[in-house]
Amino acid sequence: MIALSASFAHGRSDGDGQLVSASERLSELQMECGGDLPGTIAIPALRELERKARLYGLKLARTMQASNGREAITAWVEIEPEAGGGTSMRFASWQAAPLPPEDTALIAEHRASIDRTLAELVARLDHKQCLLSVDCEAADLAALYAAMKAGRGRPWTDFVSVDGASHQQPMHWRLLDGASLSVPGSQRKWRASLLPQLVPGSDPTGFELCLTADVPLLHRDVDGPSEPRRETGLVGRDIAPVLREPISRIITNAETIRARLAGPLPEEYSNYAADIAAAGQHLLALVQDLADLEVVEADDFDTVPERIDLAELGQRAAGMLAGRAQEKDIVIDAPRQGESLPAIAESHRILQILLNLVGNAIRYSPDGSHIWIRLEEAGAMARLIVADQGPGLSSDQQVRIFDKFERLGRNNEDGGTGLGLYISRRLARAMGGDLTVESAPGQGARFILDVPADPAA
Amino acid sequence: MNPAVAEAALRRDLARGDAVLESVGPVLRHLLGNDGHSIFSDEIIASMRGMLADLAQQLVSAVNRTSSPGGNPGQATDRESDLLDRLVSQPELLAHVHALALEAQLAARLEARLGLDPVLSPLLQALIGSNAPEVSSIAMGLLAAQARFVQHGRRMQLPLGEMPGDLLHLALLALRDASAQWNIDSAKVAAAESEIRAAFDESRSRLGLISRLVTGLGGGVMAALSVSHAGAAIFLSALSVACGQDRDAVVLATHDTQATRLGLALRAAGLKSAAIAEQLEALHPDLSLSALYEQLGPEQAAALLAGTGS
Repeated sequence: MIALSASFAHGRSDGDGQLVSASERLSELQMECGGDLPGTIAIPALRELERKARLYGLKLARTMQASNGREAITAWVEIEPEAGGGTSMRFASWQAAPLPPEDTALIAEHRASIDRTLAELVARLDHKQCLLSVDCEAADLAALYAAMKAGRGRPWTDFVSVDGASHQQPMHWRLLDGASLSVPGSQRKWRASLLPQLVPGSDPTGFELCLTADVPLLHRDVDGPSEPRRETGLVGRDIAPVLREPISRIITNAETIRARLAGPLPEEYSNYAADIAAAGQHLLALVQDLADLEVVEADDFDTVPERIDLAELGQRAAGMLAGRAQEKDIVIDAPRQGESLPAIAESHRILQILLNLVGNAIRYSPDGSHIWIRLEEAGAMARLIVADQGPGLSSDQQVRIFDKFERLGRNNEDGGTGLGLYISRRLARAMGGDLTVESAPGQGARFILDVPADPAA
Repeated sequence: MNPAVAEAALRRDLARGDAVLESVGPVLRHLLGNDGHSIFSDEIIASMRGMLADLAQQLVSAVNRTSSPGGNPGQATDRESDLLDRLVSQPELLAHVHALALEAQLAARLEARLGLDPVLSPLLQALIGSNAPEVSSIAMGLLAAQARFVQHGRRMQLPLGEMPGDLLHLALLALRDASAQWNIDSAKVAAAESEIRAAFDESRSRLGLISRLVTGLGGGVMAALSVSHAGAAIFLSALSVACGQDRDAVVLATHDTQATRLGLALRAAGLKSAAIAEQLEALHPDLSLSALYEQLGPEQAAALLAGTGS
């Protein structure tokens, strides 16, 4: 008989197919699939398997395939029905690989339907790109709309200015498709899509012109356009997605070599491969953090405040990291059931901060120690404290620890990127709160997160 | 009875009889005209019947264990043949035992031609030698399970614990239906059923172990997509995962008449043309095959396979 020695992730469901508890990876995937915890299982393959295991009353063990939108996830899952009507699930061999590139024809089809859905101005053009009809909803295009309606029969390019074009307009439709435009009266940047009506073997008989803006207008009835977003985010928007795929491939291949799946290999080479895989994991975390960093550093960064309960989020963070703590025999003392501390902040951002704080505490605490998550009311603020029994920080270190890329002299092997606390503090401050630390060497550390309390609660 | 009604009933019976007689020719022609590699060869049919009878026997004796031991021996045989009739009419179950019989035949063919051990393939050896203790112990478990599979194949047996969970569920439902006619306490049947369900653990079955290993290979799954390296059993599971087709369908695709399907499946699994040609050569050395699959990308191949079904 074979036991899954190192279970990668685990979870439980109740008799109604609700996921009631889940470790870190599983709960992440559940949320990325649009689900909640506790909540109905949102991972389609898992939902199907869980239902079968309950229906049959059989212990099932299968390969599960899922997607979080960015990656294809493969995992081995064992689901065992339990006496109470629910199931317990254990996962192993959890792997994520970048989704394969889509078919180009399919992409074009998707693009066309996205453009049609998002277009704020749609016009019908004849084969010479002259206007036949036009329809528009955007407030900042009102002037253009009126001019186009009055100018039927003229080329659509008479009414807008195509960026970087000095040629006689209209140019060939393939050159204009995707062109960026400026529209008099609108501060937003626009993009034109020309969707041709094709007749096989001859030129298009007409076109559908869709104008889409770089920022959607949230309130169509509000006068005046919203402020255009500043062009920021080179790493996050352009580089991070491109880097993720090759780095993931490096990790996968290094893992393959390390596990000697392709054949026998001397010990030292296998160890080199393990180093490559670890360095790759580090690089991947860094790319993710850099993308985050750029978001929080942008001038227009804003959070979406909502009513939250710090106690509940503290419990959730503790639950998600319970597996990692268990490996080091660390006990996380989370807020009790029934405790509550209402606050105003964005729940996903708070969870991100808590995962960072508790994750750090686990990483730097000795085996067999305690981590406490405590709640306090502090006047107009709600306070959550993460305290550990780690090595503690000198007063000089307490100042430096929130700096960008500050690792306090630690090497690469612990997997930290030196950005987590910097990002967490930026997030806390963006929500009208703060993140501070109290510590002394040898005394452990107390990270204190303050966010505005909920006055209505 | 009204003569008109009687005539209509007789006519209907005759029509039904005609349909049977019409199919006699083609079926006989097929059975007689094919050599031992047919998907309906005597060996395959006998093996399928044997496995299903073994299933029926295990289920009936589980019921007999929980109910009183009395009753004559003939009764058990009657119950087995009654249950067997019901099992045979389950298409999913038939497809599965058919695939198992074909897999055993394929492994035997590869052993005869390439000297490939049906139990211990080079890949399984490498996995057993892995210094990851978990991989090594699962691989050891698979070695034992694969040896049992070969033995069971010779004896035409199919233990309950080796079935996929869905099919065991179907078989248990068939048992429940059949036993309703057996003049037996339904609580006894339910007790036998829940005993079987509780003892079942898919992760310990041969197919479960292979699937577990293949999943663990991750990016190394390419190593398992070589039949001469991985052996038939692991190759079939790996191909099933990689091309997104049911394993039983993949087994059928290895038959001589289904080389196109196999080529497409390998393409859908992401293999390059040269690697596909190598696999087709290993499985079908006597066939000269068109390489039309070269024209298709993996996604197109997968879509084509999914569209035609199995």
